[in-house]
Amino acid sequence: MSISIELPALGESVVEGTVARWLVAEGEAVERDQPLVEVTTDKVDAEVPSPAAGVIEKILVAEGETVAVGAQLAVIGSVSRAAPEAAPGSAPSAAAEVVPPESSVTPMSASAGEPKATPVARRLAEDAALDLAAVEATGAGGRITKHDVLRHADVRSAVPAPRAPIAASVAGRPPWAHYELQDGDRVVAMTPQRRLIAQHMVYSKHTSPHVGTVAEIDMGGVAALRAQHKRAFQQTHGVALTFLPFIVHAVVRALRDYPALNASVMDDAIVEKRSIHVGIAVETEKGLLVPVVRHADRLSLAGLAAAIDDLSTRARSKKLSPDELRGGTITISNPGRMGNLYGFAIINQPQVAILRMGEMVKRPVVRSVDGEDAILIRPMMHLALSYDHRALDGQPANGFLFRIRELLESAEVEL
Amino acid sequence: MVLLLEHTPVVTLGRSARPENLLATPEELAARGIELHEAARGGDVTYHAPGQLVGYPIVDLAARDERDVHVFLRRLEAALIEVLAGFGIASERVEGRTGVFVRRKAPGERERKIASIGIGVRRWVTWHGFALNVSLDLSAFEVIVPCGLQGVDMTSLAAELERAGCDVPADLDARVRAAVAAALRARWG
Repeated sequence: MSISIELPALGESVVEGTVARWLVAEGEAVERDQPLVEVTTDKVDAEVPSPAAGVIEKILVAEGETVAVGAQLAVIGSVSRAAPEAAPGSAPSAAAEVVPPESSVTPMSASAGEPKATPVARRLAEDAALDLAAVEATGAGGRITKHDVLRHADVRSAVPAPRAPIAASVAGRPPWAHYELQDGDRVVAMTPQRRLIAQHMVYSKHTSPHVGTVAEIDMGGVAALRAQHKRAFQQTHGVALTFLPFIVHAVVRALRDYPALNASVMDDAIVEKRSIHVGIAVETEKGLLVPVVRHADRLSLAGLAAAIDDLSTRARSKKLSPDELRGGTITISNPGRMGNLYGFAIINQPQVAILRMGEMVKRPVVRSVDGEDAILIRPMMHLALSYDHRALDGQPANGFLFRIRELLESAEVEL
Repeated sequence: MVLLLEHTPVVTLGRSARPENLLATPEELAARGIELHEAARGGDVTYHAPGQLVGYPIVDLAARDERDVHVFLRRLEAALIEVLAGFGIASERVEGRTGVFVRRKAPGERERKIASIGIGVRRWVTWHGFALNVSLDLSAFEVIVPCGLQGVDMTSLAAELERAGCDVPADLDARVRAAVAAALRARWG
């Protein structure tokens, strides 16, 4: 009985290997598991161990030769030195050949103690934290198949399994969240600013349970007011009159009625702030910046328009001082038009609320005209509020958003 | 488990080493204080010295059901590319050449290799590993044709940072070591 030694499969994309060096010679006796030959492929050097004890009958591939995976490298003939347990009296036959253990003809296979399973089954069991040894095998050669694992999991699911603590999945990156680079991928290092934004966003989402709520606001009154005063405003104040100051104006007034939104969480306490400083999210070349309009509640509409214009211009030309980016007590994000119906922003910590303006579009809406329902065309805008559910519940949050809507729809602003 | 270390100056010959890629005689190497050894890893000839982070990940691929040496090489590369990106250096793989190469910005630039890889497996347990050039003196690479690659320059993280006009932090070696440890832990920890 002879055993063939073949070039083992070292991986899916490994198709061939080069014999680097024979560690044994023809005619040499070898032990089971003794390294026979070193093979190299690409940048990997591997040893092929002997599957059984025996004598090297023939070496078929010379050093330096490259052969395909599965190619025969050598032949081992068995030795008949294993006869100590032969029954006394029975004449040992010189020609008798001891059959070598057949289980390990594939070199480099898993250790003998481990149950045999297909790779898919093994992965499934690992994901489900199942002990393979407990799974009944029905596959060929006593291998555990995917179906065996699934059936076992089904049976087991009646028994509550201990769950991994959530904290473990939060700390560090779990293995399934890895992306392995593929050829042709482009790797771009994060800029320091990108990294800061990423850190802040993760921290905020991790710290505050965000709740989102949306109001649909009829901006017809504000639009009419703006159209009426646009030109004079530009002439008097030197800045364009946009919709944003109207929103800020309504928000700071609504905050007077709902101070819970102008707050921070400090350990086990909630701090309601007297001052109202409104952060305005501005897209710049370098990324998102949030300059702050300080004491926004003390400013007229014209004052707000001027402050917003000044801060956003300087944000884009990178001329803001660090102070002007700090100390906001609530944030408003105006991501612009272009297909932006509404969306929920991430709270700018340590604040508890952020508003995000949607695109203003004309829509047909139902209004009561002279006691009759009528369909009118109105400029509508969604305004989305994200708030920190640690600090407040839905009632004040919805009240705050509704109050902003009332103020904007009544459009009672001094110009 | 991974061993992270730096070697004293040494040239090693992998299992596929061709003699013509060693450009100096053993005597010349000795005169420069460089040792010469053969190593049971894949690959050609390479050079190690202080300022180069050498990592020997010892991973039981069978126990993890990851019996694929090429996948292991690609994941090692991915870990190193990730580390370099963290220092602001964009790098990439080059098809058919194991290792990590700095991404070239202009078409005429010569290829620059920043990390070399050569592993061994014994019963699906890996040994040997990678060498990431951090701050070592690159001139010593002139005694060899690194990895047998003609027309490829060897570079280092410090050299690339300088090239990009960035400051090279004084504690670069320690920071790279920590980043590499984290990247490997994330994959095999």
